[in-house]
Amino acid sequence: RINSDGKPAKFQPPPKPVIIDKQKQREERRFLSPEFIPPRGRTDPLKFYIERKDMIQRRKVFNIPEFYVGSVLAVTIADPYANDKVNRFVGICIQRGGKGLGATFVLRNVIEDQGVEICYELYNPRIQAIEVLKLEKRLDDHLMYLRDALPEYSTFDMNMKPVSRLDHEEIPVNKLQVRMKPKPWSKRWERPKYNIKGIKFELPETKMKAAQKWSQPWLEFDMLREYDTSKIEEKIWKEVSEELKK
Amino acid sequence: MMPIWTKSGKKHAVTLLKVQDCHVLRYISKEESGGKTSKLLVGGKNASPFSKSESAMEIFKEAGVPRKQKVTTFNVTDDAIIKPGTPLYAAHFRPGQFVDVTAKTIGKGFQGVMKRWGFKGQPASHGQTKTHRRPGAISTNKAAKVYRGKKMPGKMGNIYRTSFGLKVWRINTKHDIIYVNGSVPGHTNCLVKVKDSKLATYKDCNKNPPFPTFFADGDEKLPEDLYDEEIFQFTDPSVTYA
Repeated sequence: RINSDGKPAKFQPPPKPVIIDKQKQREERRFLSPEFIPPRGRTDPLKFYIERKDMIQRRKVFNIPEFYVGSVLAVTIADPYANDKVNRFVGICIQRGGKGLGATFVLRNVIEDQGVEICYELYNPRIQAIEVLKLEKRLDDHLMYLRDALPEYSTFDMNMKPVSRLDHEEIPVNKLQVRMKPKPWSKRWERPKYNIKGIKFELPETKMKAAQKWSQPWLEFDMLREYDTSKIEEKIWKEVSEELKK
Repeated sequence: MMPIWTKSGKKHAVTLLKVQDCHVLRYISKEESGGKTSKLLVGGKNASPFSKSESAMEIFKEAGVPRKQKVTTFNVTDDAIIKPGTPLYAAHFRPGQFVDVTAKTIGKGFQGVMKRWGFKGQPASHGQTKTHRRPGAISTNKAAKVYRGKKMPGKMGNIYRTSFGLKVWRINTKHDIIYVNGSVPGHTNCLVKVKDSKLATYKDCNKNPPFPTFFADGDEKLPEDLYDEEIFQFTDPSVTYA
């Protein structure tokens, strides 16, 4: 090649390719299952350490996937009274409770117009498989209000196919506002103590203002209720991830 | 307290008890104590020696052991006597044994008759004047006195009580932890006395226990965890019903 000047062109190296390291992006997101975080109390930390060892043992043999309240799961457990000796249930996780080995999650589904909620223990040895069909978060910590919502929001097909998602994507937050059945509800969800963001309240303004009478604005400034788990979480995450890699 | 699963899939609740620096303090012979069997004084958790008088510290000095927070007596047969100063470990018990656990119950303070003795009280409405949680009548007319031991309000809790016949599911030799079935009297981290069960149904349950006790410097090397046969261990695959 000859330049416009007439001299031979200087060698230009090709531009460096931009490498998006997907592994690094994946590692940046850490998920520690909430039952690993010890509750605030006067128990000896040795008890939590021993419980954690057992939990890690179980996780090495059986995979407990990452899921949040609002994701759709399918659970198969061994049932001595079923025809095939296994029982499969699909539902939306409405609550994750308990700490340590007794951690539970409640799945809700509407089968033939009957709402069904089943509470499973994460570390129960009878559980054969837990599959996450749809991994997503919702605006609230628990979805108990689905009991008073229209049944379409709790129905999920028993033979639903898992929704594919890429590994390094962030967990989508479903900002769905749920429509409710007419009052009375099992709990007064409009009251500020429940702090529900996922309901489309179609109540008159007067009722919503009257509900604010039960608000306790001093609660968020109460220092004795603070429980900062960030440092504990980091330590436990390191411990758990190192053990699981072995 | 923790859940434990058996191989058939049943869940049981289990209490963890830690054996914290237990030493044998003194041997009291049958004649000295005046009872039917000889006794062994055993001390529990280590505590500071500065808050007790010299005379109280004599027992610990003789045994060569730091001051213990709790000292209890165990009635032992003559062939089970241990030299004072030997440490006692959780491996003294084995999974499958049955055990009685004694401790001071949680103190509730001065309590009324409904909480303390389970009286029914009186109705909340329908004309009751200032009487909803009172004991009501305390004796009859003919008796003309109140009997001794009448159930009345008073200090509740903070007394020794025993849970009998608790199964030992698992023993952790590294941290000296005994997993005992069911619940145990007392609050979390309270001091507890664990004995072999006195119930007649469990008299022949102890198959070859470590006798007189488990000696750490002996020849026996135990694995870190000892499990009962029926426990589901987390290293096994999930339970299935074939």
